[in-house]
Amino acid sequence: MRKKELKLVITFHTTADAMAMEKECKKVGAQGRMIPVPRSISAGCGLSWCAPLECREELKNVMQGIGLEEEEIHECMV
Amino acid sequence: MNLSDSKKKLALAGVLCGLVAACLAYFGNPANMAFCIACFIRDTAGALGFHQAEVVQYARPEIIGLVIGAFIISVATKEYRSTAGSSPMIRFILGMVIMIGSLIFLGCPLRMVIRMSAGDLNAWVALIGFVLGVGTGAFALKKGFSLGRAHETNKENGAVLPVLMLGILILATCSTLLKASEAGPGSLHAPIIMSLIGGLIFGALAQKSRMCFAGGIRDAILMKNFDLLTIIAGLFVVMLIFNLATGRFVLGFNTPGIIAHSNHLWNILGMYAVGFAAVLAGGCPLRQLILAGQGSSDSAVTVLGMFFAAALCHNFGLASSGTAMNAETGELVAGAVTPNGKVACIICIIACFIIAFTNKREQAK
Repeated sequence: MRKKELKLVITFHTTADAMAMEKECKKVGAQGRMIPVPRSISAGCGLSWCAPLECREELKNVMQGIGLEEEEIHECMV
Repeated sequence: MNLSDSKKKLALAGVLCGLVAACLAYFGNPANMAFCIACFIRDTAGALGFHQAEVVQYARPEIIGLVIGAFIISVATKEYRSTAGSSPMIRFILGMVIMIGSLIFLGCPLRMVIRMSAGDLNAWVALIGFVLGVGTGAFALKKGFSLGRAHETNKENGAVLPVLMLGILILATCSTLLKASEAGPGSLHAPIIMSLIGGLIFGALAQKSRMCFAGGIRDAILMKNFDLLTIIAGLFVVMLIFNLATGRFVLGFNTPGIIAHSNHLWNILGMYAVGFAAVLAGGCPLRQLILAGQGSSDSAVTVLGMFFAAALCHNFGLASSGTAMNAETGELVAGAVTPNGKVACIICIIACFIIAFTNKREQAK
């Protein structure tokens, strides 16, 4: 079984925002992957972006570049 | 105990939900309909007099329990959030589509799984449609579909549906205002207190585990993530064991008395509409009730759409009939989809396509 690590988890207001994030991250080569919102941080069944902790600024820039607003940015075990 | 931090615990949540459903089936809920969101909303709509189909009128405490159970657990664990404003009228239409598709197939995704566990091959056929519908919805998501974001509202706003459900419970137990079937599926039910407790437990478990039948398949398609399907697998296994142990497992298509029909095309198309609309609305019928319980007015509007369409289905003859045995002649009378139901199903699928490919993220901001 994969060992859980402390990761950056970005949640979004809509599923479409999460999809847009995935598309842009793939386009610019930013790290991370889409995962279901972890149950420990939100009651939604939506999608979130999970990446290493050190990518926080890079991902913020990616979101700014396409006018994407995150709901919250968490650090949690994933 | 955290029921959501590992796949084993998620499976356990599914097992517990399966046990609730099995208990309710054992103590009186209709055969093969242990816990069906669409059927139970339809019965409750009938109890309130929204439609006059005398065999499907009963204020199902399970529905009330689900909403109130989700409300209580979300408040207790600080997950209650009163939100609203994400294209409510489109969600109302999606709620209608979910109900119409469900009553053409004769069951919501939860009942589809319960029917599958009882050997009903029609439900396995319908699963094809459901998966295709969820897949189409996932494709729309990839193409930028969005109903826009919800916003925080006064906390009282999110509590309206749970309070309304409480009102129905009070009317059902303390007055004679509500209708109750004397024959047919509506007359078959577990004792009220058992149904209510079952609904509360199921609602709390579904809220903590994020159980969603459409979401499970959506996550598998979009992210190869099988967490939500683990819960459903747990429920399926328990119901399978229960059906085998109690002699309720009957493998076949034309099984009388289980409220199902063998119109394969329409089973597929009915559940296609349900899967498609559920992904667009952000969850299956069960999930909509749970989200409404934890404060989402958008989901509450979807639930109201389901209530509205349940009445339409019986007022306009859209609901299908189940295969039954003629008591006098002993002949098998095949269940059927009505002509009106077929037209409605096509309209529902067209409506889903229009909604899916005209509501884009860029314009929803």
